[in-house]
Amino acid sequence: MHGPSDTGFGVGASLLRKEDARHLHGRGQFVSDVKLANTHDVAFVRSPHAHARIKGIVLPPDADGRVFTARDLPRLAEMRAVPQVNGFKVSGYPPLATQKVRYVGDAIAACIAPTRAEAEDLASSVSVDFEVLPAIIDAVDALTKTPSLVHESWANNLFIERVFQEGNLDEVARTAEVVVRRTYRMNRHVAVPLEGRAVLAYRDHRLDELVVYTSTQVPHIIRLGLSEVLGLEERNIRVIAPDVGGGFGSKARLSPEEAAIAALALEVDHPVRWVEDRGEHFLASTHTRDHHYRVIAYADTRGRVLGIDVELIVDGGAYAMWPNGPFLETGMAARNLPGPYNIRNYRVKTHTVATNKSPIGPYRGVGRPGACFAIERTIDEVARAVGRDPAEVRMDNMVTSAQMPYTTIANLKFDNGDYPAAVKLCAEAIDLPAIRARQKQGEPDGRLIGVGFACYSEQTGHGCGEWVSRGSPFIPGYESCTAQLMTDGTLVLLVGIQSHGQGLETTLAQIAHEELGIDPAKISVRHGDTGLSPFGMGTIASRSIVMAGGAVAHTSRLLREKILKIGAHLLQCDPADVRCAGGKIVGRSGAVGMDEVARVAHLRMEALPQGVEPLLTVTSTYQPGIDTGVYSYATHAAVVAVDPATGLIELLDFAVAEDCGTMINPMIVEGQVRGGVVQGIGTALYEEIPYDEQGQPLAGTLADYLVPGAAEMPAIKIVHLHTPTPYTEYGVKGMGEGGAIAPPAAIANAVRDALAPLGAEVNETPLTPRRVLAAIRQAQATSRRA
Amino acid sequence: MTRIRLRVNGKAVVEEVPPRLSLADFLRERRNLTGTHLGCEHGVCGACTILVDGEPARSCLAFAVACDERDIRTIEGFADDRVMTVLRQAFHQHHGLQCGFCTPGMLITARDLISRNRAGSEKEIRKELAGNICRCTGYTNIVAAISAAAAALAGGEETDAGATQHKATA
Amino acid sequence: MKAAAFEYVRPKSLAEAVGILSEATGDAQVDAQVMAGGQSLVAMMNLRVAAPDLLIDIARLDELRAVSETSDHVVLGACVTHAAIEDGLVPDPSRGLMPDVASNLAYRAVRTRGTLGGSLALSDPAADWPTVMAALAAQVILRGPGGERSVDAVDFATGVYETVRGADEIIESVHIPKLSPRARWGYAKFCRKSGEFANSIAAAVRDPDRDYARVVLGAVNGPPIVLQRTSSLLRAGNGGDCQQAIAEDLRGLDFDDFQASLHAAMASRSVRQVLT
Repeated sequence: MHGPSDTGFGVGASLLRKEDARHLHGRGQFVSDVKLANTHDVAFVRSPHAHARIKGIVLPPDADGRVFTARDLPRLAEMRAVPQVNGFKVSGYPPLATQKVRYVGDAIAACIAPTRAEAEDLASSVSVDFEVLPAIIDAVDALTKTPSLVHESWANNLFIERVFQEGNLDEVARTAEVVVRRTYRMNRHVAVPLEGRAVLAYRDHRLDELVVYTSTQVPHIIRLGLSEVLGLEERNIRVIAPDVGGGFGSKARLSPEEAAIAALALEVDHPVRWVEDRGEHFLASTHTRDHHYRVIAYADTRGRVLGIDVELIVDGGAYAMWPNGPFLETGMAARNLPGPYNIRNYRVKTHTVATNKSPIGPYRGVGRPGACFAIERTIDEVARAVGRDPAEVRMDNMVTSAQMPYTTIANLKFDNGDYPAAVKLCAEAIDLPAIRARQKQGEPDGRLIGVGFACYSEQTGHGCGEWVSRGSPFIPGYESCTAQLMTDGTLVLLVGIQSHGQGLETTLAQIAHEELGIDPAKISVRHGDTGLSPFGMGTIASRSIVMAGGAVAHTSRLLREKILKIGAHLLQCDPADVRCAGGKIVGRSGAVGMDEVARVAHLRMEALPQGVEPLLTVTSTYQPGIDTGVYSYATHAAVVAVDPATGLIELLDFAVAEDCGTMINPMIVEGQVRGGVVQGIGTALYEEIPYDEQGQPLAGTLADYLVPGAAEMPAIKIVHLHTPTPYTEYGVKGMGEGGAIAPPAAIANAVRDALAPLGAEVNETPLTPRRVLAAIRQAQATSRRA
Repeated sequence: MTRIRLRVNGKAVVEEVPPRLSLADFLRERRNLTGTHLGCEHGVCGACTILVDGEPARSCLAFAVACDERDIRTIEGFADDRVMTVLRQAFHQHHGLQCGFCTPGMLITARDLISRNRAGSEKEIRKELAGNICRCTGYTNIVAAISAAAAALAGGEETDAGATQHKATA
Repeated sequence: MKAAAFEYVRPKSLAEAVGILSEATGDAQVDAQVMAGGQSLVAMMNLRVAAPDLLIDIARLDELRAVSETSDHVVLGACVTHAAIEDGLVPDPSRGLMPDVASNLAYRAVRTRGTLGGSLALSDPAADWPTVMAALAAQVILRGPGGERSVDAVDFATGVYETVRGADEIIESVHIPKLSPRARWGYAKFCRKSGEFANSIAAAVRDPDRDYARVVLGAVNGPPIVLQRTSSLLRAGNGGDCQQAIAEDLRGLDFDDFQASLHAAMASRSVRQVLT
């Protein structure tokens, strides 16, 4: 295990970000900022119906070859997501609808014009004749009743259903003294990165390449997807993700628009561009969350949870997005429902249902925020049922550090960590005794104060075996890096991940500095461009620092070996007696600059030692020391004030006690925690996209889909535990998603605590004033009847 | 097409524009000033915020034709501005940006609220930021940056842009 | 989304603006819209929810930004911006109510362009000014081809996005009676998020020296509603026990349980502010 150096620029330093300069001056380059001569803009004709057959498409008389339907793009194949999961029903997803449309917003035709405004004019003059079909909108109904089918070749509306069972739940059910039954719902989200999706494509005739700029998190995967869907060889496609304005998982799938724009670029002789507008984002970007839980928990009179029996329905939308489809959502939820707890009897039935809505995809946390909501609310109810403090009951149920490594009932192998310590630390950070005292006093304005906790353990940096067992069609169990030392001693790192806010241009430079002693200001990190970087799996699944960080470390060390050989030769000493420091190769009696070594390797080969080849470019891959993941974890606490007259919830305070092992850059880690927490607060209090019975989405602008704003957010306290893992470089664990996992549960538990005198609880997110007031009224009605 | 004459970042500009061309698209597509971003085009997210005659405005809700004779300032137009320089340094030191998409609009809003003396407390700053959505940072560091910048400006401190590369503590 | 194409004209006087508007509305084919700040209109045009053929830009008409003050009235031109009211750049007849409302309206970048007249003309049910002007018993002055007329603010809105303004009329100014030094006001607005449209608004004003009190409810999915019994109670100085009166005022109105709770809470809060 390598300990961090003390230069102040390496592992553990809160180094200010290299990527800031361009953004602070408005010189970032997002897809829509890329200027290519003669670019034409595209607007899509989209379905106004949730479910309909297309009977005919009538183009305006001046369409003039500027409107393209599926029929006009014969080389554009449908996207087929084929996870290797038994029972998963495959269906094709045509980028432009062929015979049917299956959700409001489903793209039917692409219209090209010199400006977006004119393209929209053209789109609005295209007339589509529909035979409207009944829309399948309610996921529970889609499963239990016999409505029409989203996919006619399927026997039902299930992408897949699974049952997992371990232990002896039936025995537990028979004998348990405490039984808690609840249903929970986490409503459908849209990811809302501030930059929507955008694609700009053109043919580079000199290189015989289709160049596709796209706002994506996974450029190499997109290249692969485009090659499949267009029938092009991969060598003839270049995908470039320039600056990307947030993704959070929503830009980790091949989108129909990417495929269509790429196909269009092959048909015309000028660049074509599509910039998603916010309305389209609500209609047709990857949707997410939308979990329905039924939970039964069995416990003893101390609140020890003996078993849980869960049924989960996830509303997967109309299509499986390429490459993985919607299975991740139920798969991950099922694995994570037992939480960080020592629960030994478990049954979970999951159903991923197809409906006439926009397809779902990953979004920060994926299935875990829903699972955390279900188990953490349940733990609270178990605690109440036995009359004990929920924080105490949590700690009693938790896997302890003495039990590590610990394999959960759902086969997650926790590596290390002290889960109860995080609970204690979090309770201190939120000042639990002060809140209890405040509750006793009461509020002069009549509001009710409450505090709630939620805990999770997050599998990150998981490798080959884990992805194979999940049935993933592609196995992101490694990352790659090419390190190139320039003749002037500066360094370029080419990596396969894509940094879209996580600060990897800085943290990866810190790691290279750690290994090579080169100033991070002299290191360039290039990512997002398939024309530059070796194959990589992109930035998803909280993997980048583990995988790409490991790749940079490993590659840098290989490079260092060669540098030291050359440096030692120039210093006429043994390679064992030299080291890299401060941009130099330092020996006992002298030093030689990195630039000198680089010049020899590239320009003065006669000075190379025997057996050492020219060039200082090394490519290698990295896999963590364990496949089953390294687990960061946290406890979150929320303090709320609830107004019983209006149902309004104010967040008074929020604390996080987290452990992600070694932090390459603590400042960036805390930024990720806070950003994640606020998205989690969005889930808890604001975000949902409801649908009417005809399948029309009822949120189409940022005025009706609310995302958190600065005025309502608390400051978010963070305290850290540090349990480096033995399985990664420097002991890092991934942590990018964690912040978003626990807030909905913590806030719902806080509301439960606040409304305890009224006996009200809210088990559906977002916890809107309407839902809170309804819960209060219901509790009042129940107590009147009693 | 209508001819308009306006000032953009101190330069006189004369152009022919269709009435429906928004000020944002005029700046981005005609003047190549892509630092102003579009996040919603309905005036909520704040990414498109620029200065019109010295006051913050949504460039997505203005037509270029209606900005005839106006003085427009975008994020690219603050090279020698003291307040903006201090703000940039503070955002950098306090990790007040992640993906960078909201940053230009956020900086212009921050500069305006500081110049109107609305940075007196965290609560006040947060309220003034209600019209600028950030999806990445969770706002804590943005508020800290603005607070620090306001204090630095009030205290008359000169900032040394090259001094430290590490996060300011407290 | 990008707005549909339109013609743009910037008249040099209110008379010219009225002339253009009346000619357009006379010709049934020309859908003409008047634009002041454009903060609502342009958003709707970008969404193609509004697609006028002709946009008449009145934002720069000095006549419409004129303000004047007498001993008992303030007159604000229709194009006075929310920011001007917030910043105290125009006389305040309301003893702080209007600047307070302005400072909590949408966001600063919207307030620098959005106008008092624009807000009244659009009559978005969740907007602040229709409720506040009704509470202050203001009058809206309209200019049409036939001349001027005055409409009580409380009668100005007739529905959601519907007002008594004729298609060929433009709001010229708002006449607001001044509150006496002893007057008190209360304003309560229910928003889940700062700057977003309210789910309930209540404005309460009591001016004993003019024997005037009015409690108005807004964001009711229709024109603002005067709570008559509550207003009478407040006028008599007995607002302390207003819950009953509020409940009676709300009875029979088309609100679900949640909406009724909000409105009752906001109404009672605004009255409490007046009395404490």
